[in-house]
Amino acid sequence: MAWVRLSEAEKVYIAHGVQEDLRQDGRSCEDYRCIEVETDVVSNTSGSARVKLGHTDILVGIKAEMGTPKLERPHEGCVEFFVDCSANAAPEFEGRGGEELGTEIANTLYRMFNNESSLDLKALCISQAEHCWILYVDVLLLECGGNLFDAISIGVKAALFNTRIPKVRILEDEEGSKEIELSDDPYDCIRLNVENVPCIITLSKIGHRHVVDATLQEEACTLASLLVSVTSKGLLTGMKKVGKGSLDPESIFEMIETGKRVGKAVHVSLQEILNKEESLGKQRQKVGFLG
Amino acid sequence: MAVEVRLPAARKRGSEVLLPETNRHLVAPGDTITTDTGFMRGHGTYMEDEKLLASVAGTVERVNKLICVRALKTRYNGEVGDIVVGRITEVQQRRWKVETNSRLDSVLLLSSVNLPGGELRRRSVEDELAMRDYLQEGDLISAEVQAVFSDGALSLHTRSLKYGKLGQGVLVQVSPSLVKRRKTHFHNLPCGASIILGNNGFIWIFPTPEQREEEAGGFIMNLEPVSLPDREVISRLRNCLLALSTHKMMLYDTSILYCYEASLPHQIKDLLKSEVMEEIVMETRQRLVEQEG
Amino acid sequence: MAGLELLSDQGYRLDGRKAVELRKIQARMGVFAQADGSAYIEQGNTKALAVVYGPHEIRGSRSKALHDRAVVNCQYSMATFSTGERKRRPHGDRKSSEMTLHLKQTFEAAILTQLYPRSQIDIYVQILQADGGNYCACVNAATLAIMDAGIPMRDYVCACSTGFIEDTPLVDLCYVEEAAGGPQLALALLPKSEQIALLEMNSRLHEDHLEKVLDAASKACRDVYAVLDRVVRDHVQEVCTLLGE
Repeated sequence: MAWVRLSEAEKVYIAHGVQEDLRQDGRSCEDYRCIEVETDVVSNTSGSARVKLGHTDILVGIKAEMGTPKLERPHEGCVEFFVDCSANAAPEFEGRGGEELGTEIANTLYRMFNNESSLDLKALCISQAEHCWILYVDVLLLECGGNLFDAISIGVKAALFNTRIPKVRILEDEEGSKEIELSDDPYDCIRLNVENVPCIITLSKIGHRHVVDATLQEEACTLASLLVSVTSKGLLTGMKKVGKGSLDPESIFEMIETGKRVGKAVHVSLQEILNKEESLGKQRQKVGFLG
Repeated sequence: MAVEVRLPAARKRGSEVLLPETNRHLVAPGDTITTDTGFMRGHGTYMEDEKLLASVAGTVERVNKLICVRALKTRYNGEVGDIVVGRITEVQQRRWKVETNSRLDSVLLLSSVNLPGGELRRRSVEDELAMRDYLQEGDLISAEVQAVFSDGALSLHTRSLKYGKLGQGVLVQVSPSLVKRRKTHFHNLPCGASIILGNNGFIWIFPTPEQREEEAGGFIMNLEPVSLPDREVISRLRNCLLALSTHKMMLYDTSILYCYEASLPHQIKDLLKSEVMEEIVMETRQRLVEQEG
Repeated sequence: MAGLELLSDQGYRLDGRKAVELRKIQARMGVFAQADGSAYIEQGNTKALAVVYGPHEIRGSRSKALHDRAVVNCQYSMATFSTGERKRRPHGDRKSSEMTLHLKQTFEAAILTQLYPRSQIDIYVQILQADGGNYCACVNAATLAIMDAGIPMRDYVCACSTGFIEDTPLVDLCYVEEAAGGPQLALALLPKSEQIALLEMNSRLHEDHLEKVLDAASKACRDVYAVLDRVVRDHVQEVCTLLGE
């Protein structure tokens, strides 16, 4: 299910609990549930990752295809996001039901990455104004257990870390016509620098305090949330308020501070695990869905 | 503030050394159970060409002449007299539709609830219009199954002071096959909280009410903040229940209590980790086996 | 196709299999906790995920409800990164709609829908990686998911695709073999009763060869049944031991 219904008494219970820093499952307001990350789960892609956060399950696949650069940015490649809220996650997403949520998430991702430093797009350029790499980042939502934005952004960062784009060489003919040659060696590839890739932290306001990593029940008690996208250095690349309720400026500043703190911790843990996974190399036992 | 990212761990299989191998008759759909025509067929079976075939994957249960196959995990199949916890989904004319994790929404008729103050009278038109004042969409109730309609929908009633609208607490949803049918489903646990084990897999944990007040089936809502120690007990119980249901252990007051005691050395939020869950479930199993032996 | 021999002289195919050999099948039931039933299957490089919700009350229009049996609602969808070339839309195109309809027909024949009047059963299948035999992997995954949800079925539904080249039927085609053209037959079978739930063939095949191809397909489906049966029995054994009664 994508959302749950709660009775008034349950909502009151949750709100009082958040006030006392003890949530339904015993976490404090700034604790995350256990996050499981695995890369290289789908083989048809240039990079892929799977993220499990509580009951939320996300699969991200990145395909690198050759195309022409945009007219206004001839020396850069580009990144395209697509989010598919599949019917697996909730029966409400059947047919076109999941399109609205999918577009919202994709637009948030575009906004997050719409700056100079997040991804080095110049590295994706092959020849100016003629050829470049286009990265299609496809997110598949398999199970919904609350806190989608955070899980998706973690998945995107892990998949970008895992992406391997083959090196190309441009051969010039005598007549001046160019030919692109893909390197044959599968290990001869370029990796992306994900140091400045941001992660989204969702801060949900319940009562007078805010919580990080809300479950479906807590999301039902939330009137307004703030999405903050934070890089590993603590810089903000984007911010968005969602929800029917309103936030006063005091709380917004508090939430931003919390978001930066938690965001830095998320980046540190995530990078540690990604490095550890890579160091295991061939010995790594692939778990996937069968484990 | 704690953020933990980890690599997925492969499931351990065959590590249940202390569990005896089950000698039940296990079947899959299409298997022939028996060709003897003297048996009556129950749930999970169907007849074809004089043979009795299984239609679900599970264990065969034989009671005298009745053969049925119990599936491992199904939606709730209600029987008269069961206690259920349900959530109101719709307010219709003279009745409420209640979601109870069964194949059709259950029905709670206006004539099956207690009026405020315990009056006994015919329901009037004013009562019909005031239905939403009593139970709205999203409210939780505890009720008993009064009857089963021909298409399988259940008819509930709350005509007793112990049933009615539920107040503050936490709802945990597990598979209905994990809740045993017992004499009583309302327990006041010694650790400091009360619990209602609904046969439909909805388990309600709530703080023990102080005194036996004259509740008219839960009309008066107590919305005062619950104290912190009570909250800790409730959160701990919730995590224990999730641990037991993930490891497919039957839920009843003894198993829940043992699991709670086994979880005391750990912090409440650590109970969400899979290795801690495994540890406390193993300990609970051991204690239960010792107790029976 | 120049230089690409689908069947060598010694009888080996592109990936080293023999003509009647299936790809390696690995499956797991109960992948997701929130759905009523779920299953994951890997047939070679094809990966499919199936999720079942139900039986539950009909959501939306009450007019869709059937008074004497359950409504089976399916959706077939492919992840955009599942194919070699990126797919623009996960579902809603003609091929997916056709597959959705086929799935619905197949499972309406197998599920005992008369037991659930006025209810709805949702079956959602997702292809994570497509390497040939997509429909068949979906049917196998959906069978396991329905069993995991405890919904009564007449029998397993096992599916396999078969091609025909150089007078030999090839079972369980991979993507390269499918793309080479040539006749392809997709068969969904109920193994115990040997009833065919779905039969679909494209391209041209001489009717003299039809029986041979059908036999090979049936045999392949029975092999798939053996593997799935093993998975189900192991799972039931494991859960029963845990429930420990």
